[in-house]
Amino acid sequence: MTAIATAIALGLVESRSLDLLLAGGAPEVAACADALGWPEVPPGLGDAAIDRVHLGSEFCETLLPGAGQLRHALDRCGAAGLGLALVTPILSDAGLARLSPLLALLPAAAEVVANDWGTLRLLRRTRPDLIAVAGRLLCKMIKDPRLPSPEWARLYPHGLHSAPFSALLERLGAGRVEMDVPPFAEPRDFRFPTVKVSVHAPYGFSVKGRSCRIGSLAQPSPAKFTAGQDCRRECLIYGSGLSRPDTGAADLPGFQRGNTQFYRHSAPMRATVAEAMAAGWVDRLVLSGDWHENRRPH
Amino acid sequence: MKIVAPISRVEETAPMIRAGADELYCGIVPADWTERFRSSGVNRRAFGNLGRYEDLAEVVRIAADLGASISLVMNAQHYTEPQIAALGELAERFAAMGGHALIVGDLGLLAQLAGRDLPLRLHASSLLACRNTETAALLGELGAGRVVFPRDVTLAEMAAIAAANAALEFEAFVLNDGCVFEEGNCHTIHLPGHLGGPICLDRYTVDHARVDGRALGADESAALADNDAAHDQWLWYRFSCGFAVTEAGYPFGPCGLCAVPSLAAGRIGAVKIAGREGAMERKLKSVEMVRATLDRLDRPAGDLTGFARAIRGRLDLCATGHMCYYRDAMPGGRSLSRGGDDCIRAEKAPRI
Repeated sequence: MTAIATAIALGLVESRSLDLLLAGGAPEVAACADALGWPEVPPGLGDAAIDRVHLGSEFCETLLPGAGQLRHALDRCGAAGLGLALVTPILSDAGLARLSPLLALLPAAAEVVANDWGTLRLLRRTRPDLIAVAGRLLCKMIKDPRLPSPEWARLYPHGLHSAPFSALLERLGAGRVEMDVPPFAEPRDFRFPTVKVSVHAPYGFSVKGRSCRIGSLAQPSPAKFTAGQDCRRECLIYGSGLSRPDTGAADLPGFQRGNTQFYRHSAPMRATVAEAMAAGWVDRLVLSGDWHENRRPH
Repeated sequence: MKIVAPISRVEETAPMIRAGADELYCGIVPADWTERFRSSGVNRRAFGNLGRYEDLAEVVRIAADLGASISLVMNAQHYTEPQIAALGELAERFAAMGGHALIVGDLGLLAQLAGRDLPLRLHASSLLACRNTETAALLGELGAGRVVFPRDVTLAEMAAIAAANAALEFEAFVLNDGCVFEEGNCHTIHLPGHLGGPICLDRYTVDHARVDGRALGADESAALADNDAAHDQWLWYRFSCGFAVTEAGYPFGPCGLCAVPSLAAGRIGAVKIAGREGAMERKLKSVEMVRATLDRLDRPAGDLTGFARAIRGRLDLCATGHMCYYRDAMPGGRSLSRGGDDCIRAEKAPRI
């Protein structure tokens, strides 16, 4: 087994694959890739062991795990000696109301990845014993998969290393941030002065909606594409490749799951992350487990 | 209820106020910023900005003379630390001009500006994606006096958030510019047209598949194709029905006019017209529409909603619900049973 300084978290929207994945204890990355049907094993990580599971969706409150799923994940991860984080999306008040009983199930020092400033405030107010993480929806930067050159990204440089952002994280009790890898990233993008850094791989997200294209599939016309719409969780059944074949542009490969568009990291982006890991600036990778671009039988 | 409307040139100031706007908002990209940061990113939009401090001062002066106020946008989603310092200086300059408020899109910047204790109100931009009472409370704690709701929040959600945060003012979108995605969670650039333009308008080929690897069945393929066609149609409405206007010049597209009574009942104190980069005629006609609607706010709600829905003379387009910011304001809410071709076209638009 490869010993790397960077911990590996497995991101799962649903808990149902945990019985298989954790049957033999903490799985290696290659085993996860095989079980979950990833297009490829992340280079250099095949025999690295999974350290923890991140359960939930960052993008849609409909996918907030139920209490049963969370208990299941707590049991399975506890038995396998893995850490567990509850991942939460941007939430409405109804979503926050569903979150509160889930928080009650979490033991002290469990992690909650918040992708909503209000969720961070709620955690600080009601469960300061939990470890709050600022999710990638709160770590704003330009992530347009169509950008033809780094000059475009420099038009709007991110402020993640600024003192005001650090002060905000401190105020809300977040000692860790989760980041995407933006196109044309540099290793120093991941060097934070005060907090620990997790990086998502091998996909970043560029844009998300509240209304949902695939979630409208079974809705009658007037109820399609609306805020807070009903759905049948079609995002768990279908994925959609995105391409611009007529442009000849060298876009990052893209796909859509649910209300969100993702891009796949390029080789230079992977190299940048590896460099940041080697420098000790990234201490955790979060690998997309059951929410990816694969369309092979599995 | 106040009308908040955009300007991008000094010449637009007086006509927009005379048309009925109470508060105007604008951006500025001064030369010293561009020279220092090699970017126009003072705010969310590269275009539709004033270019000189003198112009900003003139806008403030004209507005004050006509009894209106000016808000300055600082609504990029993120700024570097040197940029935040520069924006603090810009805020001080704006305050000295007699400016009214800053519309802020970065939470760290909001806290920094509040710490400067300037004679300016701070409005939390829709970019800050306030979707719940906790976020609104946090924005208030950080110094915001007003929260601008993002587009995709329902009337009921807004009312509940406003009720739980009595010390804050709230503003909601009422006309124009329909982001397909959540503006506060869009990390793309409105690229020039030859590079694809805004990502929501870009011509993507979408290739659906089952994630379990099984082939799509014929019924599934047909349902997905129907859904895609409906999505294309929705986009057409979302983008102003092909960027069209009525014969009278009133813009089609995203609209919350008939929801005004619900907004008012929900303690929304201001309604926002989007479209800083738009033509002046479009902005003026937009203000006219909102003013005419608000002027009927003291009449029975049915009168106002009927007026608002007929204002463009195209009840058929209105009845689809696809132009709605707040679909829950429509008869039947999101369970509308009528729409599109089976709706009746208005004989003529009401007189404004």
